[in-house]
Amino acid sequence: MRELNVEALARVEGDGGITVTLDGKKVKSVTLDVHEGPRLIEQLVRGMTPEDDLTVIPRICAICTLSHRYSAIRGLEKALGVSAPEKALVTRELMMLGENVESNSLHTFLLALPDFLGYPSAIAMLNDYADDVKRALRLKKFGNHVMAITSGRIVHGENPIIGGFGKYPSRKALEEIKLKSHELIPDAVRDVELFASLKYPTFPEAEMVFMSVNAPKKKFGFAGDSILISNGKEANVEDYKKLTSERVVSHSFAKRSLYQDKPFTVGANARLINMGKRLDGQAGDLFKEHYSDGWLKNPLYNNLAQAIEMLWSLEQMPEVVDKIMGMEDPPNEKPTRTTGSGTGAVEAPRGTLYHHYDIKDGLIDGADIITPTAQNLDDIERHMRLTAERLLAEDKKDEEIRLGLEMVARAYDPCISCATHLVTLKRI
Amino acid sequence: MTKSSPKIGVYGFTGCAGDQLMILNCEDQLVDLFGATEIRSFVMAKSDNHEGELDVALIEGSISTEEQLKRIKDIRERSKVLVAIGTCACHGGPQAMKLGEDKYDEMYKKVYGNAKITISKSFEAQPVDAFVKVDLYVPGCPIDKAQFLSVVSKVVAGRHPYLMNQPVCLECKWRENPCILYGGKFCAGPLTRGGCGAVCPTQNLPCVGCWGPTDDLNISAEYELLKEKGYDPDQIIKKVKKFGGAAVAKLVKDLESKKEAKK
Repeated sequence: MRELNVEALARVEGDGGITVTLDGKKVKSVTLDVHEGPRLIEQLVRGMTPEDDLTVIPRICAICTLSHRYSAIRGLEKALGVSAPEKALVTRELMMLGENVESNSLHTFLLALPDFLGYPSAIAMLNDYADDVKRALRLKKFGNHVMAITSGRIVHGENPIIGGFGKYPSRKALEEIKLKSHELIPDAVRDVELFASLKYPTFPEAEMVFMSVNAPKKKFGFAGDSILISNGKEANVEDYKKLTSERVVSHSFAKRSLYQDKPFTVGANARLINMGKRLDGQAGDLFKEHYSDGWLKNPLYNNLAQAIEMLWSLEQMPEVVDKIMGMEDPPNEKPTRTTGSGTGAVEAPRGTLYHHYDIKDGLIDGADIITPTAQNLDDIERHMRLTAERLLAEDKKDEEIRLGLEMVARAYDPCISCATHLVTLKRI
Repeated sequence: MTKSSPKIGVYGFTGCAGDQLMILNCEDQLVDLFGATEIRSFVMAKSDNHEGELDVALIEGSISTEEQLKRIKDIRERSKVLVAIGTCACHGGPQAMKLGEDKYDEMYKKVYGNAKITISKSFEAQPVDAFVKVDLYVPGCPIDKAQFLSVVSKVVAGRHPYLMNQPVCLECKWRENPCILYGGKFCAGPLTRGGCGAVCPTQNLPCVGCWGPTDDLNISAEYELLKEKGYDPDQIIKKVKKFGGAAVAKLVKDLESKKEAKK
């Protein structure tokens, strides 16, 4: 019996590792270890006002800070009977586009690409791929800029609130976003071409099930009130418990998710598989060109999906900005009740994120947050196991198996800080 | 890279990784930063990490497991200067908001039930200085890019950095914002360390206190003042505890003992 360890899984957000236990030629177990300490956020927010909850929950994750905030806002507004004005809804759309560009550029280039090109980091790629790295940093910086303009700060902006915004972005700032997003489209197209040109190893292939929100009006998007499943079914977000069936497993603090007793995938690949036909512009054309059956069984294509999605997000910005500029600043809507329940769901860059709240007499009585990484964990382990088995059967060296496992884990863009329920998996 | 490049390690503990992300968010300086220093370890950003002696360790996050405790002690031993970056490392962060209330076990049970889980022991999150000596505190939730870069460039040159230690109110006045407290809404500005540029009041929103308290906060005077203005004292404490963690827990204790003394 021997163990193959990746002590600290580098280039992911949060503290995790991988342990594979090998018994001769057999893979005994594969686990994504999570060393991140518990924070018990859902318990901490009990008894708080909805406004205070909204300042705490974005701190679950810095990269998905606005997704957490928006998902919570959607849940809280439903619970409190608030219908936000149109200008708020469209401005929220813009902030989600910004976060998508920021997170997808960070993940595809700085975290995932070095694996494919054989470098330890994007910084180490500078000598050979300076233009590509700098292009990625430009896109990331712009994504951050859009987040800062809409939410008030690059990370953990407090501007989006229940019923609207503290302050709407200025016309000048919006004009700049419109101009700059247009300028960056060629950069994003080159990114798609780069990721389409990579070789995607087949070792993790298996049948997969994909889940994402169903954006309204048959459009592509990052928020919605129903969930699409790649088996053709659809469910209301209120049924999130049935869809994700969180459970405690004995070997970890990680609460795990299964759909109909099977692991499933959320993320950019899930969104494009479920809603890719709705993409317009160059993103739509490039999706059609590069989509293949491989996407349905190989999680590594999530990297290409993220690149295409990032292009779409940029292409949407001018139109969304025009819509925002065409509206006067409305007053923020106030809660119409103090007791109620509501579930919000948005597409964080790494997948569907649920926030459910029960509010009693104006205070949080219960909170349930299900993060994309928690939903993906079972699927990550399943594909890592297949990878280990196949590479072992091919007599690959430990180093190659290790890299394969890391590529698979990283492809899901896991955010370990996000998985608030995760702590540590014991090594055998 | 020359032999004399300062050796830096960036480490994340319990938190949201937002302060490490802010380092990566220094897009315009990132290439220079990696070029001028020797980043020995930065797990979130690169794979080739080497542990060993460090000139500067940058620590994000609070400490909440036995394994983390071992790790932070090890980092302290091999680092000349240890810098706590972000509110979680400095004060414990949101996960430490109930420090001193003895509620951890109860909350923990509610999340995980009675499931038998065999992992390394976890405990209520505490700031880094609850366990090892911290040389410099760079607060913020997240940290501010400009302040972070100025601190790093000073520290690697062996100089003492300037860190803002005035409340948010000062920056709010600089920005000529109307006072939110006078508008009748509770704002944590007077109780909170500035450096963020008074970002929330500038958007017509009350300060949420996310940078934690200033070093020399006279909480009893502020508390009495706010009470006089008609703000609910319990609400004041609850709000500043959200981010102030250990620092506020200590201030509240002092406040209570002062009240006792008055009686």
